Amino acid sequence: MTVASDPAFVPGKSGGGAKDTSRWNRKVQIAFGSAMVTLLIVGGISYRAMMVSYESAQWVRHTHEVLDTLKDMLVGMSSIESAIRGFALTGNEDYLISYRANLLNIAEAQTAIRTLTQDNPSQQVQIPELEKLAAQKIERSEVVIGLRRTGGMAAAENAFRNGIGRQLMNGFQATVGNMQSEERRLLALRDVDAARSFDEAKIILIIGTFLGLSIAAAAGWSMQRDLNKRRVADEHLAQLEGRYRGLLEAAPDAMVVVNAAGDIVLLNVQAEKQFGYSRDELLGQKVKNIIPEGFAERLVADGTRTKADALDQRIGTGIELSGRRKDGSRFPIEIMLSPLESPDSGILVTAAIRNISVRKAADEHLAQMEGRYRGLLEAAPDAMVVVDTAGAIVLLNVQAEKQFGYSRDELLGQQVKNIIPEGFAERLVADALRSTEDALAQKIGTGIELSGRRKNGSEFPIEIMLSPLQSADGLLVTAAIRDISVRKQADEHLLLKMDELNRSNEELGQFAYIASHDLQEPLRMVASYTQLLSRRYKGKLDADADDFIGYAVDGANRMQRLIQDLLTYSRVGTKGINLTDISSEKALQHALVNLQGAIGESAAVVTHDPLPDVMADEIQLTQLFQNLVGNGIKYHSNDSPRVHISVARQGAKKWLFSVKDNGLGIDSQYFERIFGMFQRLHKREEFAGTGIGLAICKKIVERHGGHISVESQPGQGSTFRFALTGSE
Amino acid sequence: MTRHVLLIEDNPGDVRLMQEAFRGADPAIELHVARDGLEAVAFLKREGSYAAAPRPDLIFLDLGLPKIDGREVLAGIKEDDSLKAIPTIILTASDAQEDIAKGYQLQANCYLSKPVQLEAFDSLMRGVVDFWLVKAKLPQHR
Repeated sequence: MTVASDPAFVPGKSGGGAKDTSRWNRKVQIAFGSAMVTLLIVGGISYRAMMVSYESAQWVRHTHEVLDTLKDMLVGMSSIESAIRGFALTGNEDYLISYRANLLNIAEAQTAIRTLTQDNPSQQVQIPELEKLAAQKIERSEVVIGLRRTGGMAAAENAFRNGIGRQLMNGFQATVGNMQSEERRLLALRDVDAARSFDEAKIILIIGTFLGLSIAAAAGWSMQRDLNKRRVADEHLAQLEGRYRGLLEAAPDAMVVVNAAGDIVLLNVQAEKQFGYSRDELLGQKVKNIIPEGFAERLVADGTRTKADALDQRIGTGIELSGRRKDGSRFPIEIMLSPLESPDSGILVTAAIRNISVRKAADEHLAQMEGRYRGLLEAAPDAMVVVDTAGAIVLLNVQAEKQFGYSRDELLGQQVKNIIPEGFAERLVADALRSTEDALAQKIGTGIELSGRRKNGSEFPIEIMLSPLQSADGLLVTAAIRDISVRKQADEHLLLKMDELNRSNEELGQFAYIASHDLQEPLRMVASYTQLLSRRYKGKLDADADDFIGYAVDGANRMQRLIQDLLTYSRVGTKGINLTDISSEKALQHALVNLQGAIGESAAVVTHDPLPDVMADEIQLTQLFQNLVGNGIKYHSNDSPRVHISVARQGAKKWLFSVKDNGLGIDSQYFERIFGMFQRLHKREEFAGTGIGLAICKKIVERHGGHISVESQPGQGSTFRFALTGSE
Repeated sequence: MTRHVLLIEDNPGDVRLMQEAFRGADPAIELHVARDGLEAVAFLKREGSYAAAPRPDLIFLDLGLPKIDGREVLAGIKEDDSLKAIPTIILTASDAQEDIAKGYQLQANCYLSKPVQLEAFDSLMRGVVDFWLVKAKLPQHR
């Protein structure tokens, strides 16, 4: 079966084509019918004319027969007259032979004439007269014959002379003449009839033949024209069909055309591919083989519907069914049916079949994702609310219900403004300058602190985190809403504590000031006046007095150093640190200037590497160098003190400073202790000191984010190390 | 010619130390003492019992004063056209940066910390007197 030869596949205009065909057929029928009828009529008329003609001829012949018979009778009668006269004159019996023969002839003629004129009553009426006259004549003749034989010639002559014979003969002749003229009249009539019939038949034959030929010619011309038209239409159809096939093959979906019986009558290559059959394997097969359910049922009318209705009702888009491949595997399909009327095959159905495995899988994936999303939503520790760009709540989790005190149904579809009065809805709506997406992109983010409102009207601080969500319904926004009441409280608590701490630090600072000013005042008095005492009265009182004054002066001096060191220490801790890009070498130079006296006294030698620029507080770094170098000089051994400051890279950013001396050295057990407050390793008489110097160093290094350490052995000198961040 | 020095100081110990320091100095220098801000203002404006007070050639001013703070006294001196030319030296126990800066902002002529050691104090006073009352040229007044 090839498609091109199948007239069923007339796309689109198939209904019109069927109508054309039936009209054409009717035309042919009418043309031939009328031609035949015409010929029939002509034939009938001709036949009738022939019959009439034949009848007329019969009648003419009949009339002639009658006339002949009448003539025979007349001749017979005349012969009888002659024979009788001859016999009467001669008495010759030979005349009687002729007489007797003629008697028979007349009898026959009489019988014939009776038969022949049965159809004509007017002639029949005359026959008895004729027969009577004939009988009288014959009777008279017999009388004459008898008279001759008995009376001889004279008697016979007498018989003649009375004229009866003559009269009878005349009467007979007259009657025959009547009948002959009647027959001749009939003959004339019948001739006219026959001629007229013949003429009529001739005319009808001519006209009928002409008519028949005309109709046949007209029909032939018309049919020829129709055939031409039809050929053009057929060509057009073939073209359309070609296009339709092209369309069918070009369709991205599998296409199958099925008739009302559920047989596949056409398919495209995609259908072959999709179902794994070759074309020949599918053509003429039941569509149930490839679509087991739901398709064939649609083609069949049930008790309440016609096929067309069933189709109308059931045809449509997106019917999801299952397809079966040749190998038996199944796959989800979506079919779209559309009816196709064909003149000879009835209703056909075109089915576009789409393999929706991928879409199905995607749908399932989506459903799964949605399920997961819901799960995630519910599992979230925060209240979650999904809002559309109109500000309506489209989804929420149980935490949201709890947190705002509403039930789910009370919130779904409601405006988010009901639970977050300010700051959220505004973020969803585009203004004149921005699209919604832009507005969101700009405004979405973490940690937007707003206020939430519960069902009971109470408000609580929240932090929301917005993230956009592209969905099939448009842009949605997921808001994670965290109740930050507790955190807020904690924050407040922290702030309070910070305040307290700041205040206590301030107080500490105040203490430093008090130490520097108010404590120093009385100290200065004690120191000044004990010194004044010593200056003015030393050697003028007894030895004890001099001792006492000496201790007082010493105590006052130590107290002054202690206060100075404490002040320095507290300033390092309480004053803000001012980290700037400074030269560490310059800081060292400042320290050395401050140590000028000590260096000079002990003839110390302080050397250093070229020192780098660092991020540090200049005053504090100076203090640091001053204390470390000062210690190196102060705790010297018998050798004259030598201090060297070196530096090395530590990592990419740091500088490691080392301050190495050749002093007494420290036992490792004290490495930690020496950095504590008031920690001293020597007696007062050996070395003066408050035990605060290294604590200040530690504090300074720590304030710079570093760590100070010492490496030493008694008698081997000490090396103090600390790291600073290099300048950028 | 007698030089008048006004010491504005509430602490008697400091007053005495100052007096001790000036004892061995030029006898032509007369040390006057105001014990609080009010007295200082009265002395400078010759009010009340200070009607006959001399115009000082040099003022030593402590910052921590009862009644009227030393800074206010300094501000008053430097706002008064008849007094602003008098060299006014802040002499205080504090060496706080805030105080130093504030002192100079108020147009103190000099800021000195009181040394704890007696010897240092004595030598500082000798230096100051030598500089301001001997070496420095000051405007003449009637």
